[in-house]
Amino acid sequence: MKLHRRTLLRGLFQGSAAVVGVPFLDCFLDSHGQVLAATGQRLPTRFSTFFYGLGLTTQLWVPKKAGLDYETTGQLKPLEPFKKKMNVFSGMRVMVDDNPNFQHWSGNAAIVTGISPTKASQFDSKTIDQTIADVISHGSRFKTVAAAASGDPKHCYSSLGGANTLPAEPTPLSLYTRLFGPGFQDPSKADWKPDPQVMLQQSVLSAVADERKDFMKNLGTTDRDRMDQYFTSVREAEVQIAAELQRPTVVAKVAIPSAPDDMVVNYALPNVRKVTPLMAKLGALAMATDQTRVFNLAISEPGSNIYVPGDPLGYHITTHMEAIDPTLGYQPRVAKYNVYSMELLASTLQEMDALPEGDGTLLDHSLVMAYSDQSYAKIHAVDGIPIMLAGNANGRMKTGYHIAGGGAPVSRVGLTVQKIMGLGVDGWGKGSMETKSAYTELLA
Amino acid sequence: MRKRVILAVAAFLACATSGAPAWAAASGQVVGLRRLSEREYRNSIADIFGKDIAVQGMFEPQVRMGGLVATSTGVLSVTPVGFDSFSKMADSIAVQVTSQKFRDKLVSCKPQSAKEFDEACAQGFFSRYGLLLFRRPLADSELKARVNLARTMTKSTGDFYAGLRYGLAEMLQSPNFLFRKEVAMPAGGKILTLEPYSRASRLSYLMWDTTPDSALLQAAASGDLNTAAGLEKQVTRLMASPRLDDGMRAFFTDMLELDTFDTVSKDPLIYPKWGGPMAASAKEETLRSTIDLALHQNGDMRDLMTTRKTFINRSLAAIYDVDFTFDSEWMPYEFPADSGRSGIVTQVSMLSMFSHPGQSSPTKRGVALMDIFLCEPTPTPPANVDFSAINDTHGPLKTVRERLLAHATTPTCASCHTHSDPIGLTLEGFDTIGQRRLTENGQLIDLSATIKGKSFKDGVGLGQFLHNDPKYPACLARKLYAYGTGANSEDVETATFKTGYKSFVDSGYRMRALIKGLVESPEFFNTAAPQQDASEAPPTKLALH
Amino acid sequence: MILRHLLLGSTVAISALAVLAQPAAAAPWKRGFVVREYGFAFHYGGRSEAAETDPAADCARGSSVHFADETEMRKALEKQHWRSKQEIDYIVKPPEIDKARLPTYVRFYVWGRAASYRGWRKGIETYVNPFAAPDPGQPEVTGRIGDGLNLDGKIKTSDFTSPDGEKGIDNALYRAWGCDAPFRNPASGTLDLRENTQMQEGLYTVVIRISGNQDPMNDSDATVEIGYSPDKIVRDARANVASDYSYRIVKSEQYTKLKAKIVNGVVETEQVDELHVPRIGWFPDQMGDADFHKGKLRLKMAADGEAAAGVVGGYRNWLDLLSENTFAQTGAEQGIRDHEDAVSLYYALKRNADGMPDPKTGRNMGISMAYRIKAVPAHVVDPAKPAQVRRPAEDEKRRKGFEMVKAAMLKAVSTRIVQDVPLGTGEGQFPAMERTIADLPSKDFFLKTLDAPGKLDENGKVIMPAPKAEPQRQVSNGTPTTVASAGDDDQ
Repeated sequence: MKLHRRTLLRGLFQGSAAVVGVPFLDCFLDSHGQVLAATGQRLPTRFSTFFYGLGLTTQLWVPKKAGLDYETTGQLKPLEPFKKKMNVFSGMRVMVDDNPNFQHWSGNAAIVTGISPTKASQFDSKTIDQTIADVISHGSRFKTVAAAASGDPKHCYSSLGGANTLPAEPTPLSLYTRLFGPGFQDPSKADWKPDPQVMLQQSVLSAVADERKDFMKNLGTTDRDRMDQYFTSVREAEVQIAAELQRPTVVAKVAIPSAPDDMVVNYALPNVRKVTPLMAKLGALAMATDQTRVFNLAISEPGSNIYVPGDPLGYHITTHMEAIDPTLGYQPRVAKYNVYSMELLASTLQEMDALPEGDGTLLDHSLVMAYSDQSYAKIHAVDGIPIMLAGNANGRMKTGYHIAGGGAPVSRVGLTVQKIMGLGVDGWGKGSMETKSAYTELLA
Repeated sequence: MRKRVILAVAAFLACATSGAPAWAAASGQVVGLRRLSEREYRNSIADIFGKDIAVQGMFEPQVRMGGLVATSTGVLSVTPVGFDSFSKMADSIAVQVTSQKFRDKLVSCKPQSAKEFDEACAQGFFSRYGLLLFRRPLADSELKARVNLARTMTKSTGDFYAGLRYGLAEMLQSPNFLFRKEVAMPAGGKILTLEPYSRASRLSYLMWDTTPDSALLQAAASGDLNTAAGLEKQVTRLMASPRLDDGMRAFFTDMLELDTFDTVSKDPLIYPKWGGPMAASAKEETLRSTIDLALHQNGDMRDLMTTRKTFINRSLAAIYDVDFTFDSEWMPYEFPADSGRSGIVTQVSMLSMFSHPGQSSPTKRGVALMDIFLCEPTPTPPANVDFSAINDTHGPLKTVRERLLAHATTPTCASCHTHSDPIGLTLEGFDTIGQRRLTENGQLIDLSATIKGKSFKDGVGLGQFLHNDPKYPACLARKLYAYGTGANSEDVETATFKTGYKSFVDSGYRMRALIKGLVESPEFFNTAAPQQDASEAPPTKLALH
Repeated sequence: MILRHLLLGSTVAISALAVLAQPAAAAPWKRGFVVREYGFAFHYGGRSEAAETDPAADCARGSSVHFADETEMRKALEKQHWRSKQEIDYIVKPPEIDKARLPTYVRFYVWGRAASYRGWRKGIETYVNPFAAPDPGQPEVTGRIGDGLNLDGKIKTSDFTSPDGEKGIDNALYRAWGCDAPFRNPASGTLDLRENTQMQEGLYTVVIRISGNQDPMNDSDATVEIGYSPDKIVRDARANVASDYSYRIVKSEQYTKLKAKIVNGVVETEQVDELHVPRIGWFPDQMGDADFHKGKLRLKMAADGEAAAGVVGGYRNWLDLLSENTFAQTGAEQGIRDHEDAVSLYYALKRNADGMPDPKTGRNMGISMAYRIKAVPAHVVDPAKPAQVRRPAEDEKRRKGFEMVKAAMLKAVSTRIVQDVPLGTGEGQFPAMERTIADLPSKDFFLKTLDAPGKLDENGKVIMPAPKAEPQRQVSNGTPTTVASAGDDDQ
């Protein structure tokens, strides 16, 4: 079946000529029943990150067997339903080189940049989700979206570099409003028309962008960089608005639910349990309806303050204060908290897998990178931070593996991820973590 | 066509549109670029357009640097998500300003026809709001650009007010509005000094937490702000106003890290009393009592550490476990002498912000108080510390104090913990939500501590210790200077606030003397010339008209 | 915690250890409490997991099941010999009910209208005129254990024994109403839960202040004050009533000050002729004075001051009790919804009334009873400025309606002359039934056959009676009063 090419429409707005490109779509499936975009390409692969604090209990999480058919360990049990759609990485290392090991920072920053950070709470480069979004997000409404199930907009590990991170949506309601509130256009409506107001806004943004030259006069280097970020943001807005003038290229067979209730979002575990899958669901719906192609979800900050009501210490303090049980050889309460994190990840994957899309589910067409900030949180160790990749990435990732890193740098995972997502990279990372070696056994 | 123009603005509008370079300082050196904070944004809009204009949107989070969030405004930029929000807010505000409801009041001229472009009216509109929003007059080219945009929009929509709306929206998302550009000109030797409009902004945001009013803009236009007499006149005027309360509230909210409450949660099972209005109440108590001492009583700021006077509402009365009189929402209250309370350090805010959800934390409290009041931040602990051996609640050491003191025996731990723990240990008489307690785990709590050879006990002893420590007023001065100039308090040279500090001490530690002393000292508006790139053109002299 | 309530206002510097070791010295003291649970003192004899209706030690025949299902409804209707079989069949199962948009409401209001007219002849509304209906029968408490107080100082065979073993407990209301479904088992009885929820959500606040000059645990000359507070109850993060909040106590008509003796933390007040306390209730029209004759209060305070629990009891006018319960909404609403029959409750009260004999007739106008109280610590303060208990304007409308229907019932019972249902109050499910069955195909049958308190005009509005010659208390300018219909509220 042939798809029409894009045709140009004369957008009429009070007589002025506004030219808008609108793709015509007669149908959405090719002869193999695969969902196709207007340009004849496959449905884009989506990318998600899932961040949780305070790592794992090594002897309970790491499978003894490497490769396929590894045994499901106690701490991986919550993820068992997704075992066939996942890869788990153990024994990966963060090399800090000349920098300090910033506790609750160096580990997670290194995983998403490939670089050991020189300052705490700062990234030494753009984070991996932004790098990927640069390539895959053209045409979607938002370049990236972030949410925090802990309720704090600062809990977001997506950045263009430096101390600035994207603000995370702190409640399900705010996430819903951003995605499906004003500005949402249902891509499945047949009578979809571009909003004339949007064209006017384009002119306004254009005028803002024009201020660049004058404003940048006499600025020092640092300030110039900062204003570069600002004008980049203006440009993003222009791109976003241009996308709103085009009919979305994805038709999802999903129903947008009504807005979620206002609810308490904080560190109490029952609330985190309620909010996490809800946010995951909204993020999944957003990706399915092409509001975005990159979704970041964090359930806590690196030194996770999640607590079970009644526990006066909570997760973070327990990792430091609980004694190792002499018989068990590990901290039993910490181990429980580790498992809660795995359960929360499972609930997130569940939401993605429950969304039918074309010949499979959203999870099948996605790549989810789940990671933490430490391995043995008690001593802020960064050797053996657990990393997991889930989803089929539209068939571009082989799954079912336990990769025993044996001291390999974490940047290898990031490089592998970028290759799977179709980025033309052959190397990633800096210093001792610079690598050109992806895990080719996972590349389809 | 009727033209109603505010008298105060007319005077230098005429100057601004006369053709002379309206803001010659555009060619100075940019020494500061500070993104508006949420409060500054809201206050500015309220003062420019009136309180009836609704501002609804998400503001990007700020980051604390050198103990102050204000410092980050000079470092952070605007992310795509942040810009998206500013863009939407800009449009929303512009829509309201030009709406039927508000246009008579806020658009000071009427077009000949509402369907057609009226150049004179548009010019007046953008001149006026350009000055107010950008905090300095528009250059000719800047004015022309807005007028042209409005003309195009009027043509597209057939509605003059829509034209004004889109033009105004553009200005509201312009970096000239969102960022406070601080421009400095050479002032002899290696010194640069802020040009008048930059001075106006700095003064206004420090004193009143808002955009410069017309009197201040006038003082900038005439160059008065760059004279000692002119500056003093404005400073006196600003400080005499009740709006000084707003500015100092903003300062203390920042310095006392009251935004920490945004992320404080207490375990409802153990401390069900905490919830709902507690955080906001605790915050307000601290601000009220601090401002009362600093500005209304004109008291000795050292007394902030020892006073037993405060203001409480019904919610706080439940935590402090006292009778509330219901005379009004907030009642003045003085703790009895044996209550163990002493000044700000034993208020619910300080005790609960720096504490865990389920239990108190002497370390967190100690670290926070030292950082906030003595300007002595504590280095982060080493990465591979193992706490469990000395933090076993089921072992023989029953109280947190006993276990923490065990740190003192380990050299790697002692260096920091002897520095920060003693303060927190004296406050162990208060639980994590600020309630008084005498026992922990069935054992009486020992509230004694020793810092640098001085021994004292409990909150009262701590208050007295801090009252007598000269580091505290010096830290207050340092932080006020950093807040006002956007510098990082940890990098500020003592010399820069020495003059202000001396006024502070000489006055008996009165806050007003500190503010006046700092702001009228040359170091407040001066800066050393930064390293120049060879490729950059040297700054030209300021041409005042 | 141990120290807190031993010290009053300005504290005295004593070392904590010393205090722990010795008893406190004699000094003025006060303890305040805010009530978190307030309801009938009905002892429950079953296991907590058991269903509310199950037979148990307190109710051998289980809870009341009036109108609970079609069988029970039929039984109630068959007692009216003037109803035809067809009428009964149609009421129990309204024909073509599925064609109505809201079939559940249709049935509810048809049943409610029918249940409102169960007189010995057609045309008598029997919530206003309960005497005109034969006694439908109410299961009464058969157990011997009961909560409350010994009010007459005697130990009679009809008295209960408290769970602690005290004999002579006078709580005849418990016997009469203890098996009434919505009040049985305070943990889950629907009206008991409802009234406590409403109270905690701010409908009203009851505070207690106990003071003395010796020692809170042992004081021969203490004072107890109980009354309303105008300040809303504050709930904590776990939705329980929060401790240590301040509440004003106002000297409204529900305020009482009593002398008391305290022994080992048990506070026992004098017995007084008139003890005024707030009423229990779940709607604003029920708010007011519960006047206990020969009333007294007993409260046990925990040693650390963290809680107090007990009872306040006495004899109350049973017609007041009946009207407060029946006309909270309309008689039929609670009846159909909560399986309660106000007519049965009327007869049960009459049967068990054991106090306040009427000087003329000698009949007992009062019944012994008690409210149970559970409270948490609070700062109970006197208001600096005069303060009123909250009375929002909307509540006044509702209260007026309540007073009108109650007045009609009192007149009916005392004169035994059938009284009309005051119109505009909603009693008798009027005009609620007419409105609800508007789209029922078989509606004409019900409109023709069932009695109604009044008529509707062609626009569906209640035709109000012309104003009487003598001035009515509620009417100020000759126009008839429309009051909020109790049936307007949710069920």
